[in-house]
Amino acid sequence: MTTVLTSPAPSLGSSVEARRTGPSLPTLVGLEMRKSLSHRSGRAFAASAALLGPVGVALAATDAEFGWAAGPIGIVGSMTGLVLLALGVISTAGEWTHRTVQTTFLLVPQRGRVLAAKTAAVAVLGATLAAVSAGSSLAVIAAVGVDDLNWDGTGQALVTAVGAGAAFAVIGAGAGAATANTPAALTSLYLLIMGVLPLVRIWNPDLAQWLDPAEATTVLAQGDAEARSIAVLAGWVVVASVAGWVLTSRRPVQ
Amino acid sequence: MITVSGLTKRYGDRTVVDDVSFTLEPGTVTGFLGPNGAGKTTTMRMMTGLVPASAGSATVDGRPYGELPNPGAVVGTLLDASAVHPGRTGRTHLRLLAAALGVPAERAEEVLAQVGLADAARRRVGGYSLGMRQRLGIAGALLADPPVLVFDEPVNGLDPEGIRWMRDLLRGHAARGGTVLLSSHLLGEVEHTVDRLLVIGGGRVVADGSVASLLGPDGAVVRAGDTAALRAALEAAGFHVEPGDDGALVVPGARPGDIGAVAAAGGHVLLDLRPVQRGLEDLFFQLTWPEGTLS
Repeated sequence: MTTVLTSPAPSLGSSVEARRTGPSLPTLVGLEMRKSLSHRSGRAFAASAALLGPVGVALAATDAEFGWAAGPIGIVGSMTGLVLLALGVISTAGEWTHRTVQTTFLLVPQRGRVLAAKTAAVAVLGATLAAVSAGSSLAVIAAVGVDDLNWDGTGQALVTAVGAGAAFAVIGAGAGAATANTPAALTSLYLLIMGVLPLVRIWNPDLAQWLDPAEATTVLAQGDAEARSIAVLAGWVVVASVAGWVLTSRRPVQ
Repeated sequence: MITVSGLTKRYGDRTVVDDVSFTLEPGTVTGFLGPNGAGKTTTMRMMTGLVPASAGSATVDGRPYGELPNPGAVVGTLLDASAVHPGRTGRTHLRLLAAALGVPAERAEEVLAQVGLADAARRRVGGYSLGMRQRLGIAGALLADPPVLVFDEPVNGLDPEGIRWMRDLLRGHAARGGTVLLSSHLLGEVEHTVDRLLVIGGGRVVADGSVASLLGPDGAVVRAGDTAALRAALEAAGFHVEPGDDGALVVPGARPGDIGAVAAAGGHVLLDLRPVQRGLEDLFFQLTWPEGTLS
């Protein structure tokens, strides 16, 4: 630890030229992307999201043959999305957990603006990481798949995987903003998507297909039930984002 | 100039800040004093928009904090030194703040050197001591060299050298025309740093004035060779005299010169003569604790 302390600057504000206005929305989005990747947990989730798909496909190839590219890409999109939920959660709830939200709102007091920037930032990150995951998974499938691999619907599967990456990251950000608690948000989301919704599917499959975002991603990637799948993903995005915005705008920063 | 007017915060039936009003002028360091739970931090959070006020207002140059175009460039705030992501390095933390403020990234290096953390810049904040986190928080507040500084308990965890540096920093800031609001429960530290005291107790401002006016002379203590004779002479001169410790006499409201004149006129031998100044600590407890609660 350094113990040499220097004297204050000689005259107030003379040496520092600060921007006269608040940061523009693109600046804020870039800043939020940097924040998400500025610590090990954020980088670990990003790396997991990018690598889960190709590694999972490579492992699956040891036990199965791939005859159709779009099928596994849909599953990769769904799995990658579940990891990207966490990236979204830590971008918002992580700020409350570590109390850095105090500094964030001191510098940009317009909370809706901050949330919009976070939403856009995790959407871009989510889409990018999902694209890397889906693209590299497709390369693995091409390498290990059968000779006459069926490429039908691959384009839609890739677009779905990228869109779902953005959607799941935004859902995570909204849930994180609503709960302001990283463990609570992660536990609630994973319990709901991976615990409760599968049970609902057993009890009432018709209802479950209107609720499950992971299933919606897989189905959409394979070209089925397109309107319903998009509605399910959009519904989760809207509900999580609105809940996050309403609760964040009302919550005091203690 | 910062103007706080009728600021009030209620949680249900409980009022934690009650009609607090004050102004902070450029060129002054104001000490915001009060025991734990008195309402200091809540007042500061309302001033900066982090906690919504139940009533009243706070403005910086006539505008609420939230309506300042780039508030961090106007008010440098340190409210909670632990409010830093432990996984980021000190340099990364400051560079992110610099980007939000719109100051050059190199400014992070300057303030790191200014607060004495240049060698720790690449270490994760999770490994910082409390004192280092305080200095990192101060570095963040200084990034844009803002005209107003609002610090909540900034000397917590600082070593004596750091406390002295902090005092010089705040005094220097005020000397350059800046405005400083400094809360602390370390009364001795505040006494040597501030021009003005704002004492809060039970959510209300109970004293507001210059250090000199609040801590003015309160009398004199005298010790004489013949205590009884001097006491008689002082009472004959119209002074109220109280017995002190070890045979000393306490004369409330008297200046040492007054007592010296009586002693000289009567030929009394004085062994000790000094003014009595009410300590900040005495004032603090007298103003902020209900009578009888201290025993």
